[in-house]
Amino acid sequence: MSLDERLLRETLELALAGEGFPARFYEVLFSAHPEVRPMFHRNSAGAQQKMFAQKLCAIVDSAHEPERMAAEIRATAASHRVYGVRDEMYDWVGEALIVTLREACGSQWTPEAEKAWRDAYGLIVAAMTTP
Amino acid sequence: MTNESNESNADDSELGLPWDRAARRGDSRRDLALVLAWSLDEPDRIGEVAVCRGALCLGRGGPSGDDPSPRAVFVRARPGESAPRPPFTNSRLSRVHLAVEPVREGLRVRQLGRAQLRINGRALAEGVAQEGDVVEVHNAATFFVAMRTPEMSGATSMTPAFPFASPDAFGLVGESEAAWKMRAAYAFAASTERHVLLLGDSGAGKELAARSIHGLSARRPGPLIARNAATLPESLIDAELFGNTKNYPNVGMPERPGLIGEAHGGTLFLDEIAELPERCQVHLLRALDDDGEHQRLGESRPRKSSFKLVAATNRPVDALKHDLLARFVHRVNLVGLMERREDIPLIAGHLLQTMARGSRFVAERFFERRAGALAEPRLEPTLISRLLRHPFTHHVRELERLLWLAIETAEHDYIGMTPAVEAELRDSAESASETAEVTREDLVRALADHGRSPTKMAKLLGLKNRYVLIRLLKKHGLSAGPEETGGAS
Ligand code: HEM
Repeated sequence: MSLDERLLRETLELALAGEGFPARFYEVLFSAHPEVRPMFHRNSAGAQQKMFAQKLCAIVDSAHEPERMAAEIRATAASHRVYGVRDEMYDWVGEALIVTLREACGSQWTPEAEKAWRDAYGLIVAAMTTP
Repeated sequence: MTNESNESNADDSELGLPWDRAARRGDSRRDLALVLAWSLDEPDRIGEVAVCRGALCLGRGGPSGDDPSPRAVFVRARPGESAPRPPFTNSRLSRVHLAVEPVREGLRVRQLGRAQLRINGRALAEGVAQEGDVVEVHNAATFFVAMRTPEMSGATSMTPAFPFASPDAFGLVGESEAAWKMRAAYAFAASTERHVLLLGDSGAGKELAARSIHGLSARRPGPLIARNAATLPESLIDAELFGNTKNYPNVGMPERPGLIGEAHGGTLFLDEIAELPERCQVHLLRALDDDGEHQRLGESRPRKSSFKLVAATNRPVDALKHDLLARFVHRVNLVGLMERREDIPLIAGHLLQTMARGSRFVAERFFERRAGALAEPRLEPTLISRLLRHPFTHHVRELERLLWLAIETAEHDYIGMTPAVEAELRDSAESASETAEVTREDLVRALADHGRSPTKMAKLLGLKNRYVLIRLLKKHGLSAGPEETGGAS
């Protein structure tokens, strides 16, 4: 499947240009699934938000190079097994991500954008969860 | 870049005299450069630099098809080192965020990405930045515009290795050309047995310079004895410097080797040497000349001490007796914070880390944590931008005071501009611009007329108050009548 890198990047940059996109993402995630909040205890909220946003950018920027994208995801996948992340949690994170992006992009969020993100997230999760 | 590679082939040739070769290579060519001063996501990259020799673009990630010009490549520049660093991964930078082009008046900077461009705090779509200006991508990254040679001269090998942006083995923080020139000067002064005179304002790091020179010298295993000459009680200066036998000159005095005796095999650091009375300056001459020959008070036989004197003064050199001055073969001018402003973010970062290690309150309230460990401080970029443009008169000491003030008066969980910091910055900036117009001659004249009354002098010179005056006098190595200068500094 080829990803719409341009659309992914435009929507992500739009979301990140607003104030507090990554913070809002965790807020949405924790309010829908309070049970994951205690898993986030090694990094301060600010550091966690920066690392998550950076990683999303790096993945999107490498979308046209499957090899590099896989490499970006590999390191994260390994650490997430250590954190005790279970497969169904990826659905929770996926939903929170779409909700937050939609909210941040406002009128510029289109069905095409949503499809591009669902496709991309599917690929990311597949790479994260295959040992 | 392409037409320069031909030139550089010619550069490698050994033809011609060394100075002609250097000129041909353009060793002294300087270009404007962007030095990273603050970054939301990549605080570990502060201090990296991109020299702008032609049109460049800057943004997140490596080269892309949409780049309007080659991507700026940032390096951790040190003498003999300039390996390219990976692309930025900062999530608030757009893929292509700024177009930068050297023009006659400076660097033309244009915003292409989403977050707002600011030059010296002013929001613009496009503008020209000059040396000393601050280019900000709002809440993403801040750059200081500096002049740089493409390759720093000198060698790092004389300084024990230390990680980029960290304090060196002696505590000096800085990756600017000026910082590396100072390190080279310390290493050179350490490489000979000659005595050294350090010249520079108070707060510019004289003690650190002395520690560096001692630590880099062959005398390293020996002692480093440090004293401030201004604090030696006048009646005991000779005893303090040269030592004394028991009960001499006063009954009950223990036997002492004196600073010169104590420094045997090592280094004696004497700060504020110009405060030594002339008589004592003369007594020092002999010890400086004849293998450290000196006499303890109350003793007739001369002793020898093998010591290297590192003396310092914040006064003009003519405050020293000229025959004493002549004994200092090496004179090292300490570079003040204003001459290495690009180091301000690194020094601030280091000071804050030190504060956090000493205070749980500071660490827990103002710092991020990564993988369980203390990480970067939450620093408002506006504070860094303002500090980069602040006219410091008391160097690192003033920077440290401003940071403490920002911490003390913080109302949130980050370190930033507060009304108190704003007021302090405005106050000292005002007094700095006020004082710029008063010359040393003006001061000398006013001292002669009204030396006993700083308040009167200040009024006469059109300065805001006597504290401004006292600061100014200090800067010029002068002092007013003793009775009224009490509460200054
Ligand atoms: C696929 C999307 C995801 C991405 C891109 C992502 C990215 C990251 C990144 C970059 C970090 C920083 C540390 C590291 O790299 O290990 C991190 C930490 C973490 N992530 Fe994720 N993550 C994702 C999904 C998830 C999911 C589904 C969970 C489940 C709840 C999760 C839980 C955590 C936890 C617990 C940490 C460590 C936090 C701490 O120790 O304080 N992540 N994540």
